[in-house]
Amino acid sequence: MRAVLWEIVRFARRNRLAAAGGLVGFAIILVALTAPWLAPRDPLKADFRRMNKPPDAQSLLGTDQVGRDTLSRVIYGARTSLFVAFSAVILGTTVGSLWGVACGYLRGRFDLYSQRIMEILQSFPDLILAMAISMAIGTGLPAVIFAIAITRIPFGGRVIRSVALSVREMPYVEAGRASGASALRIMALHVLPQCVAPYLVLATTHLGVAIVIEAALGFLGVGVPPPTPTWGNMLADSITALVPPWWLAFFPGLAITITVLAFNLFGDGIRDTLDPRLSPAFLRLMTGGRRA
Amino acid sequence: MYAAVTLLGVSLSIFVILRILPGDPLVAILGVEGHARMTPADRVRIMADLGLSDPLPVQYVRWLGDIAAGRLGKSFFRGDTVAELITHRGPISAEIGVLALFVSWIVGLPVGILSAFKPNSVPDGLARMLSILFIAIPGFWLGMLIVLALLFWFGYKSPFIIVHVWEDPWTNFQMVVGPGVVLGLAQGAYIARMSRSCLLEVISEDFVRTARAKGLREGLVVMRHALPNALLPVITISGVLLGFVLGGSVAVEQAFGVPGLGRALVIAVIERDIIVVQNLVLLYAVIFVVVNVLVDLSYAWLDPRIRYS
Repeated sequence: MRAVLWEIVRFARRNRLAAAGGLVGFAIILVALTAPWLAPRDPLKADFRRMNKPPDAQSLLGTDQVGRDTLSRVIYGARTSLFVAFSAVILGTTVGSLWGVACGYLRGRFDLYSQRIMEILQSFPDLILAMAISMAIGTGLPAVIFAIAITRIPFGGRVIRSVALSVREMPYVEAGRASGASALRIMALHVLPQCVAPYLVLATTHLGVAIVIEAALGFLGVGVPPPTPTWGNMLADSITALVPPWWLAFFPGLAITITVLAFNLFGDGIRDTLDPRLSPAFLRLMTGGRRA
Repeated sequence: MYAAVTLLGVSLSIFVILRILPGDPLVAILGVEGHARMTPADRVRIMADLGLSDPLPVQYVRWLGDIAAGRLGKSFFRGDTVAELITHRGPISAEIGVLALFVSWIVGLPVGILSAFKPNSVPDGLARMLSILFIAIPGFWLGMLIVLALLFWFGYKSPFIIVHVWEDPWTNFQMVVGPGVVLGLAQGAYIARMSRSCLLEVISEDFVRTARAKGLREGLVVMRHALPNALLPVITISGVLLGFVLGGSVAVEQAFGVPGLGRALVIAVIERDIIVVQNLVLLYAVIFVVVNVLVDLSYAWLDPRIRYS
């Protein structure tokens, strides 16, 4: 326990910004978890006596067109947005990573075809693929999570595959093979543990992207269906007004920006600490710039 | 060659996503209630009209044939053809994309160079903070705020009826400048970041030391010797960023109320207008793939060490 704490202190000292990002991110996660106790009002309850009120003492961030409290909705929005982003990133990156391990270790025809499939997935702009998928399987929380997860698969696949490719040439893996271990056993016990660090890096760097995609889907009216408060939905609600009240347009977007900023800073720090090799090369790999 | 295979795969996956996953396309188009209200005979007639009652492989091949022949079908609800949609709205979105690309390079590259010149200085720190910030700000939100601010303080609203550049360049410019700049700044942030790190990497190499040792001015060393060698990854990332522009433009067009192709796609998705969605998604993917092939080809031209067989 002490060792872990010491490790965190060292990380924080070396990456001030990342530590700040991590702290803010952690606070936002806490807010999301404790939303029912933090929110001053019911986020769904309309109050027709208090419609379109600018921020005042009663509702700190104002109210919307039907009198719902913006602060409560932003707080509850954190729940939905973070839940979608975390689930989608964990699902997508895990599937992609396992696939990548199999590709990198097995190579051959399986790898070849898998690479083509991932290339196809990467041929769509993220948001457009997510839109098409969530349209096809119907809007709703699971549909949105699934749609965003699919767009994350090829990133996990490519990065982890390259790790697996280099790990499979290591002597200890060869030793495992020589002593007759099955491919599945080697992949699970010897290759997979080496992929944990890049997996964590990938997952944290993609959290921000997932939050933005979720917000954009909500903003376009194809995300988690209203009245569930999400930051994207709130922004979409605000522009239906002829002259949108500024507080409705400002605060949900600010919440998105702060959250994405926090996770991005934290992700950058994690990347620098866990796997400095990845930094510029990681971007290049992400881009798939070396096909042809 | 790979690109052609990829595109075929792209079209197949669009087809699979939109035709197989949702079950009955009529339910998708009409909604559950509308579907229930129709007689079975009506259903069969409409399905046949739309060509949706044929076996899926037949439908797929016919779709490819239609595209090859330039028949893109038409909207189920509005009666405009997809081809009209593209020729009418496409130029607006294309202008936005090109403008965004232009802005991203004109802002991102100088900032990156400036940062790399004096790493860890105050301007470098400022530039890095700004690029981290612009990467995090969602473009559609920034767009909304700009629209609101202009409306609030100046009572200004950008034109919302399509005006092409050859009809009235000034009005047209007012339409595309907002989305273009917003999208451009976000990408410019990535470009600044990438060019900084690549330049720093190149600057530590031997030939740069040699250039310095023979007494070249620092500016000349960076611009002449380091920069060309650092540009390749920056160009790659610019190609990949096009995915952000294509996807992002859909949301940013909505925020600015610009009636571009992205808006058309969003409307089609909400109305579940399968034919339009299918062809527009394909169009976006084709543009993305083709640009990245061009990026790959530009390598050979920029870097004489790379030759494609």
